Formats: sequence, C-alpha cells, structure tokens
Amino acid sequence: MFKYDRKLITTGLVAILISSVSAFGYEGKKDALDGGMTYPRVNGDYTAYKINENIDKVKINNGRTPTANELKAWDRDIMPDGTGLPDGEGSVEDGDELYESLCAVCHGDFGAGGVGYPTLTGGDISSLTNQRTVPGKDAPKRTIGTYWPQASTLIWYTRDAMPYAHPKSLTNNELYAITAYLLAANGIKVDGQEMDDEFVLSKENFLKIEMPNKDGFYPDIDGKDGIENVRKFFADGKNYGAVGKRCMSNCKDPGMEDVEATVMGIDYELTDVKPPYNNTRNLPKVKKTNSHPGKEGYDKNCAVCHATDTMGAPRLGDSEAWAKITKQGLQKTMIHTIEGIGGMPPKGGNKDLTEWQIQLILDYMISNSK
Amino acid sequence: MTKISKTSTPETEQSSRRDFFRKTAAYSISAIAATTVLSPAKLLADDENIIHHTPWGTTLGDELNKNPYGLPSPYEHNVVRRTASLLSSAGDMHAAISLSPLAEMDGIITPNGLFFTRTHNGVAHIDPNKHRLMIHGMIDKPIVLTMDDIKKYPRESVIHFLECPSNGAAEWKAPQFNSLQFVKGMMSCTEWTGVRLKTILADLGVKPEAKWMLAEGGDGSEMSRTVPVEKVMDDAMIVYAMNGEALRAEQGYPIRLLLPGWEANLCVKWLKRLEFGDEPWYCKEETSKYTTLMPSGKAIQHFYPLEVNSIITSPCPEKPWTELKKGDIVEIEGLAWSGKGTVKLVDISFDGGKNWVEANLKGLVLPKAWTRFSYIYKYDGKPLLLQSRAMDDADDVQPTVNQEKAIIGVEGVYHRNAICTWEVKENGEVNNVQVRS
Ligand code: HEC
Ligand code: HEC
Repeated sequence: MFKYDRKLITTGLVAILISSVSAFGYEGKKDALDGGMTYPRVNGDYTAYKINENIDKVKINNGRTPTANELKAWDRDIMPDGTGLPDGEGSVEDGDELYESLCAVCHGDFGAGGVGYPTLTGGDISSLTNQRTVPGKDAPKRTIGTYWPQASTLIWYTRDAMPYAHPKSLTNNELYAITAYLLAANGIKVDGQEMDDEFVLSKENFLKIEMPNKDGFYPDIDGKDGIENVRKFFADGKNYGAVGKRCMSNCKDPGMEDVEATVMGIDYELTDVKPPYNNTRNLPKVKKTNSHPGKEGYDKNCAVCHATDTMGAPRLGDSEAWAKITKQGLQKTMIHTIEGIGGMPPKGGNKDLTEWQIQLILDYMISNSK
Repeated sequence: MTKISKTSTPETEQSSRRDFFRKTAAYSISAIAATTVLSPAKLLADDENIIHHTPWGTTLGDELNKNPYGLPSPYEHNVVRRTASLLSSAGDMHAAISLSPLAEMDGIITPNGLFFTRTHNGVAHIDPNKHRLMIHGMIDKPIVLTMDDIKKYPRESVIHFLECPSNGAAEWKAPQFNSLQFVKGMMSCTEWTGVRLKTILADLGVKPEAKWMLAEGGDGSEMSRTVPVEKVMDDAMIVYAMNGEALRAEQGYPIRLLLPGWEANLCVKWLKRLEFGDEPWYCKEETSKYTTLMPSGKAIQHFYPLEVNSIITSPCPEKPWTELKKGDIVEIEGLAWSGKGTVKLVDISFDGGKNWVEANLKGLVLPKAWTRFSYIYKYDGKPLLLQSRAMDDADDVQPTVNQEKAIIGVEGVYHRNAICTWEVKENGEVNNVQVRS
C-alpha cells in the first residue's frame, strides 16, 4: 500500500525506515494551504489511485459563453465593498411592519428568538468572551449586532434565503426596509448615528453601516495578503488546538503532571432522538396507507370550520370559493392563514403550527378544491 | 475432541447429523474457543433454527426484480440516520442535521441512504435537464455548462470522507449523548465520481489575481462559501456520483463541490455557480456560522480542514460487551481519518490515556478517507477506559480533551477532534465519558 521513500533508501537510511513510521507515505509534501499534505500526480499514480495523466495535459472546450442577461440574472451576490447592492430603499418603520408580518413567526418579536429559530438581535459584544465552564456565565450571544462582521452578508442572505418558506420573494424596497429594521433593532449605527424609525437605508448609505464586531475574526483574509495570512495561521498548530503529542506510557497532560485525571460521565443524557434508538433486527410494523402530508393537519385544525359553509369559511371542495382565494397568490393566502382574516383566527387557532405545516395543509385544501 | 465425546449425553449421540456437526465444529475451532463454544450445556439444547425447516426454505421467494431498485433487507429497518431537535436551527427539520448509524456500518464506504445530511432550507429536488453551472468572474472565458457538458469531461473516482465541522459539538462542555451515532455520526465516506475542477479550468484562463472562488448552491438558501483558488487547483472536484450512482438529493443532486478533507459545508450542494475574484465574499455560513469563537472573544474564520481524528466503533454504547465472558477474544475496531492527509497510525489506550499500544491499520489506507484500525484483545472482565488516538502523515496527533480545551475553550462549536473515551463497565456496558485532568 505505502511506498518507501526512494530518496531515503538510496541514501542508505534503511535503518531509520524500520524504526520510524514517518518515512512511510504517498511521497506527499506538507505544503498545503491548510497545513496538510499535497500529493503528486506522477508516473500514472496519485497516491494509491491509478490515473490517466493525459487528462492533465489537455484543454477541453465544453459549454458556451453566458449571455449578458444570464450573468445579470445570476451574478447577484452582495460583497462587503457594496458590489451587487440592488437599487431601492426602505425605512426602519416599514421594515418593522414587514418584519412583524413576515419574520416574527419564526424569529420572535423584535428578533428576540424564543420560538426555536435563530435569534437575530440582543446580547452584548462583551458576552463573546463568556465560557460556560465559569460559574454564572451564559453562552456567548452571537447575533447580527454582536457577531456578524459585515452588513452585506445580512442583506444578501435575507434576499436569497428568507423568508424561510418563500425565499427570494422580497422586493428590493422590502429588502432594504427589513435590513434597516434588523440593523436598528441591533442598535447598529450608520455613519456614527443611531438609526431612528425614519431612517431610510439604500445603496447610497449602506457602506456607512458600522458593524460592531467587524474586527472580531482572524486570520485577516482581506487584501493581497489574505491567502498568505491563512497559510501562516495554519502553519502553527497552537493557533487552533493542533497540539497533540504521541506519548506511549505514563502520559499526562502538560502542566497536569501532579493532577489525577477524573472521569466525567453524562450528567444529563439527551435521549430525544428521532427515530428513537433501536438496534434490534425484526420486521417493521406495516405502514399506514399513503395520504397527502397535509391531510392530518387539516383534519385536526381546519376541518372544524372548513368542512362546511356554515361558519362562512370557504368549504373544502368548493372550487369557486377556492379559485378566488388562490387568485390572490400563495403569499397572501399564507399571511391570511397565519394572521387570521374575518372569522378565521390566526393559524386556525393553533399557534403551534409551523409555516411549513400550514403550507402543506393549504396545498391539501387547494388541491382538493379544484 | 475426545473430551467432548465423553461429556456428550446419549441423547445427542442418537443423532448422527448432530454428531457430524459437533465433530466438524470441534475440529475447526481452536482449543480455547472450543471449550466455550461447545460447552456441554450448549450441546444439550438443540437450536430450533437448525432442527426445523424455515419458512424461507419451504416457500418460493420473491420475483427477482420485484424491487427494480434494490432495498435493504426489511430486517435492517432500524439501521437509519437519526436526528435530534437540539441539532436543528429551526422548530422543524428543514434546517437541521441527521447522523449516520456508525455502529451498524462496516468498512470505509457509507451506503448512500445512510450518508449524514445537513440542509439549510430543506432538501432541494433539482431537475437535471434544467440545471446549469455557470463559471465566471476573474477568468478569460466564462462558461455555462449543462449536466451533459459536465459529464463530457474525463471523469475520476476517489474515496473521501465528508464531515460536518460540528461533529461532536454537543460534547465541548461535557458528554451529552450516549451513542456512537450522536457522538461522531456527522460524517460519512463515499467513492465520489466527477471531474476535477482543474480539468475544467484548464481552458478558461483563471487570472493570476483571482485568489478566491465563490461556490453557490441552487437550493432555497442559495448556500454559498468562499474557497481559496489554491485548493481548487489542488484536488477540488465537481462530483455527480457517489458509490456508483447519481448523488442522492440530500447530497446535492445533480452536482456538488468536493473539497477533499475540508468542512462538508464548503462542499456546496446543488452547485449552480462558481465566481472567481480577488476578495472573499463573507457568506452567511462563513461569518454567522462555521466560525470558531475562542476564549479571547475573537473567532477563527475560514477554518478549512477537518483535523486528524478517530473513534472506536466496536465496542461502543450501541455495541456493548455485555455478552462477553472472561477470556473471550474480541476485536476492538474503529475509524480514523484526517482532512490534512493520510492516517499514519492509531494507538489504543485501556486506562484512559496513561498508557498506549499501537493498533493495526486494516484495509485500504487512502488520503482524506476513513481508515479502519483493529486490535485483537482478550477480554478479562475488568472495567476499562478505552481510547483511540490517530496520527496522520502531516504528523498531527489528536489532542486530549484538556489540550484542546486549553486553546479553544468550550464555546467554539466547530472542529472538535479531541480523543474520545468509552467507559467499559464490569458488566460490559459501554458509556460515553470524558477523561479530564
Ligand atoms: C418559517 C420560519 C422562518 C421565517 C418566517 C423566517 N425565517 Fe429567517 N431563519 C429561519 C431558519 C430556520 C434559519 C436558519 C437557517 C439555517 O440553519 O441555515 C433562519 C436564519 C435567518 C437569519 C440568519 C440567522 C443567523 O444567526 O445566522 C436571518 C438574518 C434571517 N433568518 C432573517 C429572516 C428575515 C428577515 C425574515 C423575514 C423576511 C425571516 N428570517 C423569516 C426561519 C425563518
Ligand atoms: C374557527 C373556524 C376556522 C378554523 C378553525 C379555520 N378557519 Fe380558515 N377560515 C375561516 C373563516 C370564517 C374564513 C373566511 C374569512 C373571511 O373571508 O372573512 C376562513 C378563510 C380561510 C382561508 C382564505 C383566506 C383568504 O385569503 O381569503 C384560508 C386559506 C383558510 N381559512 C385556511 C385555514 C387553515 C389552513 C386552517 C387550519 C390550520 C383554518 N383555515 C382553520 C374559519 C376557520
């Protein structure tokens, strides 16, 4: 499997070969950017693999040139220097309203979390030094205000990935408004000023946003030395905990020579795993018949009103009534379902329904009312 | 042999068939094993599974192509990925992680249905006919490729593990899960097939000032990461197959980026765009997440390689030694891996890390791939603190829990590769513990 290092053999160091494992290997070099190995592709070999070296000698002309419109459609990333920022603008106040209706279901009021989804605001940058091994210390708070180095990340990610169930549905103005709101809710300053309700965010003032933890990350990857800084970082294992030593007997951690090691068991075992642990080998129980994934949720939460017309609710199967509803668009129908409308309580009265569950239910209702 | 015949009862001697079985067994098994396996008490009871015909031996089996796509035996239905609400960034299971059942897996190849999965906006189902890969930015010749175009390049196959850098993240402060699946299951290892990025780029003229490459996914979260061009030119690939078939949707069908040895999160799934540039992009998953917060309050960013690591897979909490008797010979088996290179050796300790012996490596030993190790052990019924410690060819050695904690603290979340400990109790039960000084 492993090959002997030819150089060592020819210089007559065979004895070392036998006693030292470090002479075995795939003739790699420890010169990778990450402090690890690279391996040569020579003589038809790449480590243990046989390779066709002619692959490395040809230029293959596949595919075609993208059109200008195609590039415009896809090259939309937003970078720290403002590249890619869209046109448009939005105020903190508008963002507040949009946030309440589009985001608060999952991220909590004012971004404070608490619903199981990521917390977007709050905490103090000084909490980043917290270690929970110190009694009385809470976990560090890693929010937009205390942790994120760049505001471009926020607007880019929000545009592409949020709201979670309908990513890429925000207009540019909505996007600036929500971004402005989240920055304001995090107490972030623009050009030295606090952002009040009237503050309007746009391309023009975006680069003046002052992210509090901008310098909280290393190695420094920016500028022409970025890559070299990464290389230097990985060259020293002490930077990132790569400090293990091979000791074979009477081993103790450095500095702990006089301390007797202790065994720490599980205090509080996490057992809530899905599906539950089970390593028996038997035949599975017969599965239930396949039904629409939204049916169960509909039966439990909505049928009480929607099975008939009596409460003024559009009846399941009433194609005319449902055609009107679907015409207004899924986004709006979702909002009506989540927030309630007329005699319809928010989420049909079950506030524990996730947006995803509601979407499945709506799909079931709509597809059975055609 | 003679000893066994003497202790046999007349009843067993009546059956020539059983007598034959006993003799062959006794001849083929070594002296120690024979006394335990063929103890007189065992000889007395007939195994019903041998005495009687079986249902499957007396009926016609299924038509051979009943399942045009083959499935595991129904008896294996508990061998599945598992998840836990703690490992979800959501109230639901669209941005979460599922872990591989390592205790039930053999060799170094993970079956496709058991490959661990992490998604940020659910599992996207991409129509390969409509999928495009765009490569542009600081290159002379930007291109758009269809799946057919991508498959026209010469292909290569390599075996590499992928590991989520949060593998073991629940264990920084203290052990919390009592299973191999949840201690180390955020990783899998596969034979990947695709094209080396260097092969594609040869014709595109990457400009010398292009130091970084943005990789962007086509799922709902548009999952993206910044990758150094140096890695791209070393061993990066665009892969479309795993273990001989198309990528599973959970693994990024129809294509994903493969950066051998680096954070699985960097190996962007559902890959749709690669852009070359001279400055990094600062994506959500390289700022808000996948950065390692240190006790200083500053965080490591762009923490690429999964460092040298290992875990004993047998015994483990799911595969305890409760059925072993003193004197039984067992194999201690495990997995070692390193994102920085090739596993060079693995040591085993029985006393919680004071004293060590070298184990054997077993099977294929490949760079940035799972490597099996093995140690033959005579069980003596005493409690043990079992550990494994791997070393790679970059000469990195796994740190102890204390050594790692002294530098990273306990809030870093990512890149935990400290030595793991299984406590083997006197009754053979196995528990997840940590040795700390
Ligand atoms: C249905 C639930 C849901 C809704 C509604 C939702 N999000 Fe999210 N959001 C999530 C989940 C889940 C994640 C984490 C995704 C992951 O793990 O990558 C997230 C992540 C985020 C993050 C990154 C958090 C971090 O710390 O990394 C931001 C910012 C965000 N959402 C903003 C928004 C905004 C703005 C809206 C409204 C326009 C919104 N979200 C609506 C579920 C939701
Ligand atoms: C307590 C009775 C009640 C329950 C329970 C209920 N609904 Fe409704 N729903 C109504 C009524 C009444 C309306 C008509 C409201 C109106 O137009 O004034 C309605 C209207 C709707 C509409 C049309 C909204 C629009 O955009 O015009 C949708 C969609 C809907 N419900 C979905 C659901 C779903 C999904 C559930 C279960 C999670 C549910 N409902 C549970 C009473 C109910």
